[in-house]
Amino acid sequence: METGSAASVPPASADSGPVWRFLITPRWVGWHVLMVVACWGMLWLGDWQLHRALSGNSLSWAYTFEWPLFAGFAVVFWAKTIRDEFRIRRGGEVVQHGAAGDDGLGLPAGVGTVQVQAPADDADDEELARYNRYLARLHEEVKGTHGKRHGFR
Amino acid sequence: MHAAVLRYRVMAYVTGVVLIVLCFVGIPLQIAGHPAVANIVGVVHGILYIVYLVVAYQLARKLALTIGQTLVLLLAGTVPVMTFIVERWATRRFINPALAAAPAAETVRR
Repeated sequence: METGSAASVPPASADSGPVWRFLITPRWVGWHVLMVVACWGMLWLGDWQLHRALSGNSLSWAYTFEWPLFAGFAVVFWAKTIRDEFRIRRGGEVVQHGAAGDDGLGLPAGVGTVQVQAPADDADDEELARYNRYLARLHEEVKGTHGKRHGFR
Repeated sequence: MHAAVLRYRVMAYVTGVVLIVLCFVGIPLQIAGHPAVANIVGVVHGILYIVYLVVAYQLARKLALTIGQTLVLLLAGTVPVMTFIVERWATRRFINPALAAAPAAETVRR
């Protein structure tokens, strides 16, 4: 997050050692420990339900599979969270609005797309005007066919 | 973004209602000696909660929540009535600001 605001400065990957260092800060180590304990607990509960199931409690079969699944979820979520954090710290954008593809390329600051403040004076550019008309037509077509679904995204 | 919010809301309410039924109808009946309701509703909640976890985590990532906030969102599905409270909290604190900012961001992307 800290690097996100510094748009004009190169990504702060070099100023405080390797990027992965954040993983061994006390805060993150605390999360790691919590994760391990939680996973161990969930697997233990699954094992307990397995024993109950084997001793005749047929309802326990559902939970026998559910607890390990939760433990698996925890691991997957954990991995994704760490990956996101790496991305943020490497100076990429926060993964937002589902636009995962165009973020995290590791491009240096200044390279990429920038919204212009005011459009350039291109009134005499016939080719550009044609292209803009083409885009407008496409936009109208898309609005016509997918209008309803568009509102929901 | 809208779709993720909608998915989360639907699952939050469905999971929340089923959990309330489980705790305030199923458990008393079980104590009274009729375990059938608690058994069935318990398994149903277990399955719904799996879906809730996935949906809530996806939303948490889109909103770029911190780990603590994400955990609150995920664990809300296990505490009776908590899903509703957390849903309101998330809406006021994260979803509404994100939706207010989203149209601008989407235009930039196109």
